[in-house]
Amino acid sequence: MIAGWSLCAGKSRNVSHGLRAALCALLLAAAPGFVSGGGNTVPAQAALSALGQKIFADESLSASGKMACATCHDPKFAHAQNNALAVQSGGANLDVPGFRSVPSLRYLNLNIPFFFANDGTPTGGFNRDGRANDLVAQAERPFLAAHEMANGDAAAVVDKLSRASYADEFRGLFGADVFTKADTAFLAARYALSVYETTEPQFRPFSSKFDLFLKGKLRLSEQELRGYALFNNPNKGRCAACHLSTRQANGDPPVFTDYTYDNLGVPRNAEIPANDDPAYFDMGLCGPERTDLANRSDLCGQFKVPTLRNIVTRKVIFHNGYFKSLREAVQFYVQRDTNADKWYPADGDGAVHKFNDVPPLLTRNVNTTEGPYDRHPGDAPALSEPEIDDVMVFLATLTDGYDPATGTADPARDLPKQ
Amino acid sequence: MQRKQLALAILMSCAGLAPNAYADDAKLKAEVEALRAEVAELRGLVHEMQAQRTQPPTPAAPVSGQSIAATAAPAAPVAANAPTAPAPTQPVATTTAGEPIPGTGGSGVALGANTSFWGYGQLDYNRPTARAGDTVADLTRAVIGFNHVFDENTRVYGEIEWEHAVASSSDKGETEIEQLYVEHALAPNYGVRVGLMLVPLGLLNEHHEPSNYYGVERNFVEQAIIPSTWREGGVAMYGSTEWGLNWNVGVGTGPNLGAWDPTADEGRISPLGSIHQELQLAKARDPSIYAAGNWQGIPGLLVGGGIFTGKIGQGNATLPVNDSRLVLSEAHVRWQPGPFDLSALYTRGTISNTQDLNLQFLGQPTPVPKSFWGGYVQGAWHALAWGNDSSLSPFLRYEMFNTAASYATQPFGLGTAPLPTQRVWTVGANYYLNPNVVFKIDYQKFHYEDVALSYGNRFDLGLGYQF
Ligand code: HEC
Ligand code: HEC
Repeated sequence: MIAGWSLCAGKSRNVSHGLRAALCALLLAAAPGFVSGGGNTVPAQAALSALGQKIFADESLSASGKMACATCHDPKFAHAQNNALAVQSGGANLDVPGFRSVPSLRYLNLNIPFFFANDGTPTGGFNRDGRANDLVAQAERPFLAAHEMANGDAAAVVDKLSRASYADEFRGLFGADVFTKADTAFLAARYALSVYETTEPQFRPFSSKFDLFLKGKLRLSEQELRGYALFNNPNKGRCAACHLSTRQANGDPPVFTDYTYDNLGVPRNAEIPANDDPAYFDMGLCGPERTDLANRSDLCGQFKVPTLRNIVTRKVIFHNGYFKSLREAVQFYVQRDTNADKWYPADGDGAVHKFNDVPPLLTRNVNTTEGPYDRHPGDAPALSEPEIDDVMVFLATLTDGYDPATGTADPARDLPKQ
Repeated sequence: MQRKQLALAILMSCAGLAPNAYADDAKLKAEVEALRAEVAELRGLVHEMQAQRTQPPTPAAPVSGQSIAATAAPAAPVAANAPTAPAPTQPVATTTAGEPIPGTGGSGVALGANTSFWGYGQLDYNRPTARAGDTVADLTRAVIGFNHVFDENTRVYGEIEWEHAVASSSDKGETEIEQLYVEHALAPNYGVRVGLMLVPLGLLNEHHEPSNYYGVERNFVEQAIIPSTWREGGVAMYGSTEWGLNWNVGVGTGPNLGAWDPTADEGRISPLGSIHQELQLAKARDPSIYAAGNWQGIPGLLVGGGIFTGKIGQGNATLPVNDSRLVLSEAHVRWQPGPFDLSALYTRGTISNTQDLNLQFLGQPTPVPKSFWGGYVQGAWHALAWGNDSSLSPFLRYEMFNTAASYATQPFGLGTAPLPTQRVWTVGANYYLNPNVVFKIDYQKFHYEDVALSYGNRFDLGLGYQF
């Protein structure tokens, strides 16, 4: 019962303040004796993480019996989806489609609860719209949502947990009668998941070729360096303005996101069933999934900047999975405004329907003032085709599990040997 | 020297006023009257001397370099390396003992026998001629300083500054300690200081109060290259020689190259200004050393220079910065013949071994420069004076500087081109309402415009005061 001790003693970094208090109170109620258990927090964390790993991979925790967290967040694909579908389907029969593509769960360790920075920039939060303040809160949806593991309520999840092969382990950590209180046990399961996601090195291995370069252990090739320079250059790609590429102030390697939000005007993806309804728009920060910022119409269409680490292993790109090719996605960045007809459909009268995945009245929200998407028809794109090639080669250096001997990288290499 | 006697006299009169010495009221009154008369007489003397000093330089030994023991003043003794005339045009501001306060030029206010405080402030109005929308009015800084004498050889000296009027986590202002050190005179002509001290390079860094320089803003060279107000923590020895050399050598903290931000403009505005640490939990593995001197053997002439060097990696475990060394050197001259005040300064800095670090910053707007330099010439004319106090001094200054004159080469021709050299003409005037209150006006013309670096022709107004 050391887990609760570390939590209530305030040693856990991955739970927000209010939630920690709630969780602590719940655990105390469930097992009043555990605080005096005391002891070393390290084994507590290891035990929690080990439990979290089992839950993460357990397909029996879903209505279908065939879907775990790992089904969508495949560790071998840097904890993102392993297929090229725009959205995954869940539910009892795995036929209820979702709304967004699956983000990688790597390098979320620096993400913090959602807030508006001093200059008004929305920052932090979990999910592509930041609506969950921490990983414990975030984990509620996949367990319950009809299009995911579809358990409906906490009791259904806990019922499955109590029959899992690791149920005794669970009781050992959270109290013998933990499964009699559904809310407590559900919270405890999500807490174990959050510990797993934040403490397991496989979620932030920093093992890419680029990391070896930063450590001075190898030189990047000429083309990789050219691509890196173009990625950083404020007059060229300017990618580093959002996908931060230099070490952080504390010396940690960059995670290629600043966890802020932006509206890129990504084309509408007809592959998403919800988009069959022309009145439906996924507008990120302002809804419909997120509800607290519904009246901030200026934020409509903004999605969280994802990490670009492991980007070449991603099967679909952007929140709606519109692009299947990374090169096309980079092309889109720099040619969106110079060659709009290439990316957006034409109306009946032949006019290009630019920014067609944003409600017509809100297209002004799309960022058209910052590079690389500050160009106009007739301008040269911020990156030429050969320059895009260079950036592509650079992006490939961001894949985890780089092996200098073979010159190949594979995020699966960071997983613990089974 | 006359002034020393004066100081002693004042100190003794102050001591004499100690209240517990008198039981008898009448006797007390009489004594007070006598002292009052004495003080009036001394006041007259002080004025006389101040008037003398506004005259074209009289041959005199350098004023600075006197030890605390020699002056025995309740307020500050003179900085060993203070130029003779901190204020460009005016009688040197003095302490109650008639000594210029180092780093202020103001007269200060005595708080009891051993403590005094002083201050200065500056309000600016800057109007870019091409972008009136960027016009700003600012309470640039307000400073309170103090000086406390423990005994005839030892004092503590400090300066507290507020910048931009309001300082809080959500405002743009800052509160900072600009200097804080204990000074101990080891002999009449040398001593030691320990604490946070101004680096004694250039004409302005140690004498940065608005009445001590021409123009609304400090010159660019002594902001961009010598990052005024530049201070470091450490130990310094200061002193003076009979032939007019004031010297200051020290060892202490230095900048932290690991804090370089290649994405921000600061490093191009002032390379050292962006990585100096101001003794704020300073990374201090690598000590820096410096030496500076000012020779004032000929009245009206000041010739000086200095060098600052140290490794600036500070033991950084993650960035390839530990082999990098900073060398900043500087030479200056100031000549005040008759009503003229002429000065010139040149400074140059280098940072070695930046290739590997800049490779990590490829394509970023602000890599670490290999060299940076600047120089200026300035002429002012004390054209008009009204009575003892007011005066008008037009001036003209020409500056050249480059904060990134060269970068270490990068493979495959991927390096960044050096910045173009900036040239700035400043023409304007200081109007001294009295020696310690100055109104300023000037116009600055830039060779090229760069909004991110605040380069652009502009018109400036300012008010400065010190006491
Ligand atoms: C059916 C596929 C699916 C399953 C199963 C699933 N997820 Fe997700 N996950 C997603 C999608 C899609 C998103 C993005 C949701 C959004 O932005 O609204 C997401 C987002 C997340 C995020 C936020 C990432 C970020 O960048 O902020 C976390 C953390 C996460 N999931 C963890 C889990 C855990 C833990 C489980 C198991 C309990 C799980 N997921 C199960 C599809 C899935
Ligand atoms: C102003 C901020 C900003 C800049 C600059 C920027 N991005 Fe992004 N990037 C984002 C945001 C926001 C998203 C998420 C958009 C979405 O999901 O709709 C994103 C997503 C991506 C993705 C998809 C990641 C994923 O997992 O789906 C790629 C690839 C990408 N960016 C590459 C680049 C490149 C290459 C550049 C430079 C040419 C660049 N970005 C410049 C903000 C930015």
